This record gives sequence, C-alpha cells and structure tokens, in this order.
Amino acid sequence: MLRIIKTNKGQMALMGLLFVAPAILMNLIFDWYPMSEGLYRSFFKWDGYKSAVFVGFRNFIDIFNDDIFWTSMANMLFFLVMAVILMLPTVIASVALFRVRNQKTQYAYRVLFCIPMVVPWMIILLMWQFMYNPQYGFFNRTLEALNLAQLKQTWLGDADLVKWCLVFMGFPFVATNAALIYLGGLKSVSDSVWEAGALDGVGPVSKFFYLELPLIVGQFKLNLIGTISAAITGYGAQLILTKGGPGFSSMVPGLYMYFSAFKSQKYGYASALGLVLFILSLVVTLMAMKFLKNEDQQ
Amino acid sequence: MSTLTSSVPPKRIHWSEVSKNIYLALICFFLLFPLALMLMMSLKDKEQIIFQFFSLQPPYHFENYAIAFKYIAPLTWNSVYMATASTILTVFVTALAGYAFGRLNFPFKNLLFGILFAKMMLPGIMNLVPSFTLAWRLGILDTPLPVILFCAGTSQPFWVFVMRTFVAQQPRELFESMRIDGANEFQIFRFLALPLLRPMVALMSINVFISVWNDYIWPLVTIPTFDKRPLTVGLAQLTQSRPGEYGMLTAGYVLAALPLLIIFFLSMRQFIEGLTAGSIKL
Repeated sequence: MLRIIKTNKGQMALMGLLFVAPAILMNLIFDWYPMSEGLYRSFFKWDGYKSAVFVGFRNFIDIFNDDIFWTSMANMLFFLVMAVILMLPTVIASVALFRVRNQKTQYAYRVLFCIPMVVPWMIILLMWQFMYNPQYGFFNRTLEALNLAQLKQTWLGDADLVKWCLVFMGFPFVATNAALIYLGGLKSVSDSVWEAGALDGVGPVSKFFYLELPLIVGQFKLNLIGTISAAITGYGAQLILTKGGPGFSSMVPGLYMYFSAFKSQKYGYASALGLVLFILSLVVTLMAMKFLKNEDQQ
Repeated sequence: MSTLTSSVPPKRIHWSEVSKNIYLALICFFLLFPLALMLMMSLKDKEQIIFQFFSLQPPYHFENYAIAFKYIAPLTWNSVYMATASTILTVFVTALAGYAFGRLNFPFKNLLFGILFAKMMLPGIMNLVPSFTLAWRLGILDTPLPVILFCAGTSQPFWVFVMRTFVAQQPRELFESMRIDGANEFQIFRFLALPLLRPMVALMSINVFISVWNDYIWPLVTIPTFDKRPLTVGLAQLTQSRPGEYGMLTAGYVLAALPLLIIFFLSMRQFIEGLTAGSIKL
C-alpha cells in the first residue's frame, strides 16, 4: 500500500514537471532570454550580428546627451497625460450604459461597443489616416463643403497639429472594452442595492460618486496602470502614421528605439534605450500600484 | 402580465432615459463613423472620391472589391494561419501548465511559477531587438514561426495564472476519484481538467487570437516578404504603395475586417464575455 502511494507521488512529481516544462521552456527561451540579452547588450556597441564591442556606460551617456531622446520624452509625456485624462469619458459612458433601464437596448449598445474591438486596430488607424489626408481626406473635404476652405490643414503633416491629431484619433474617447469591463463591475451588485439607493432619494450625481464609482474603482486602477505603461512604451500609431515626424514632432522613445535598431543598425544603443524605457515603465507602474494601494487603505 | 404593467408608471417621457440614449447613440455613431466612411468610399472610383466625396449616388464600383481581393486573400490566409496556430499552441501549453500548477505537487513548483509570475509584471519593451536577433540566429525569419513561437513564449504567464486559480478552485475529490480509478495524469488532464477549463480556454483563445490578428510591429520586422505577411502589415504596406487609390484600399479594409466580424456575429455571447476577460475576478 505504502509503495503504491510512493510511486504515485513520484509519478505525480514527474508528470507535474513534464506538464509545466513546455510553458516554462518557451517562456525562458522566447521571453526571459531576449530580455536578459537586451540588458547585457545595452553595454555594447553592436551591429546586431557579429561585431560587439563592450563600451561600458557609453550608450547611456549618449542617450542622456541626445536631443532626439529628450524631444521624444517630452512628446511621450504629452501623450501620457492626454491618455490618462481621456480615461474619464469611458467611465461616464459605462455608467450611462449601466443606467439604461431597458435591458434589450442595453444589450444592443453592448453589441455595438464590441464592433470596434473585432475590427482590426490597423483598419481603424488607416481610416483615420485617410480622414486626415490633406488631398482626399474627410476633414478637408468637410471644410471645403462648408465653405471654410481657408481652415484646411495638412493635419498629420503639420508639426504643430500632429500630436493633437494623434490624440484625437481616439474620438469619442470611449475605450469600449474598458467600458464593458466597468459595466461588468457595476452589474456585480444585486439590484436591491440600487433599489435601496433609489428609495433613499439619491440623486444621479451623488449616486455616481457614492454607489457607482466605488464599484469600478478597482478595474479603473488596473486600467490606469495599463494605460500608463502603454503610453510610456507604445509607438505603433506613430510608426504607421507619422514615422515620428514631421521632423521629430511626434517622435516617442519607443519609436526612437525601433529606428535605432532597424534603421540605423545601432543595436547596442537601441538595447540601452529599451532598458531605459523598461526601468521607467517598471518604476512608474510600481509607484502607481503603491500609491493606489495606500489610497485603498484610507 | 398585470404585474408587469403595474410596475410601469403611466405613459410619461423619462427625460433622463431619453438623454442617456441620445448620448450613447452619439457615441456609437462616432465609434462606427470611420467604418461607415470605409463602406461609402469602397464603392467609389478616384474621380468620385475627389468630386463627389459625400454623395451616395451610383455608379457603384464593385470592381474595387475584385481588385482588392487579389491582394487581401493571401494576406488573410497568412493571418488566419498564424493566429490559429499561435492560439492552439499557446492555449495547449498554458492549460497543461495551469492544471499542473493548480493540482499537482512537484519539485521547484514555486520557483517555476515565479518565473512565469515575474513576467506578468515586467514590461516587454526591451524584448523587441534581441528577440529579432534570436529569430535571426534560429534561422526562422520570413516564416510564420517567429509569430507563433514568441506568442506562445510571451503571452502565457497571465493565463497560466488564471487557469491555475480556476483549477485550484475545483473540488479536490473530483480529481482524486479519477486517480483512484487508475487514470494517469494525462488522462485526468485530457478528460477532466480540460473540459472543466472550457470557459477559460474559450476566453483565452479569443484574446490570444485577436492579439495575434492585430499584431503589427513583430511580424513587420520578422517577415520581410509581402506575400508572407499578415493582414495588418500588408494593409499598411499596400496603403503606402498605392497612394490615392482609396476606393480599392477601403474595399480591401472592408474585406480584411470581415472574417472577425463574421465570427463575432456567429458567436456573439461568447465574444462579449471573451472580450471583457479582464473583468475576471482573480
């Protein structure tokens, strides 16, 4: 009897290791290994292939003396602040959606909210590019049709407007997946709470602050952290629409890292930029988590 | 029926209800506006886009779709292939590990879980450049492998965590009884854990599939040949190389948007849950 249990235990240990092995090995090879190599290569001058020369902290000194880097950091800060401010319309939309009484209507809105999520992000981005197109685009066409041709702009081609254009692409600033997640939070409480609230004669504004907001605050914090780290390290829209231009007016650090590697073949410098962004994103995220946790305890 | 009507106040317009609906309808209108514009433009030729931008009048140029289809079809296949293969591999590996972490005891369990857990917290920004050189050294550039393997390597930590929690919540007796019946661990996984994990597997599949389908930067750097590229990269490249041909291009966008939209309308309920998987309570 004892022997059977023992072999079972041994078998279980073996099977356990076998079961987790694919996940662990793949994670080590395709996630941990590149990350560690990035860390290591930050201290090298490296063309990505063979010649790698150890240069100590040279790359980091160069980064801190690099005007393009600081321009990109300023731009990143602008996008970060806008991204955080523009989280609010989503909260309002989700509360409005929750307050729709007719459940069929509410479901219809939920379905419509899903559509922007299942249409590839690239297509929405390219449609905005088309709308901003100075020659064929929607915005200049509309201005012409309204006899306001003197207001026509080059939009993404205008160094003063480009950042605002990139922000405005989020219009109407409702992140529909976040809105549906908040809706889930609001719905997690039984109807009786809401009925009690209604009986107490709670007005719509105080209902928002005292009943609804506390229910979604956890998910909001989680989204806030995601939004912050995405704003620090993201560069997809800039890569596709502006290449950081005109000039460096929409350059962000992530894109600068990308160009350093794949355009200038400065892989060591790119790795160092990656490390700077990595640390920045990690520190800001941890600080946000700590700050938000303290808020919780009060 | 009578109870229903009695709870509804006599006909009176709820202005708050009306204003909420107007507000939400406006949001939906603006959300879907680029897509409506896309449909509208896809039926115009170059002259119509320049001279009759806002007009819905015929002639409609359906040939835009025929031209775009030639470009879009192979790219769509590439995307379907990469997203499906990535999803199957990632989900299988994750479910296996999630089950083991949640139910089995084995040496170094906490250490091994820590390896994955730490990756949930660490930003991935530093990975791009060295991942590219790793793919280059492995000789898998210009194949679908970088997308599939790196997806499986990087996207499982969060989901291993979710599945482990889910498995650990199931009653222990369920697994013990099968073990007593003489089933081996793989059989328990295959015939008990996997069916139990079905809702999690569905959630994860939808999320992984969509994230691979939307991925741009990684396939852009690892797959240089146009014919082998996924939709996202191909569409951006096509738009760049055909400036001004917006009739054909928007028709291409419509075709590229269709596969996921069709799947969405076929399995709406699952999708709505799957897309909001962030709301799972951990």
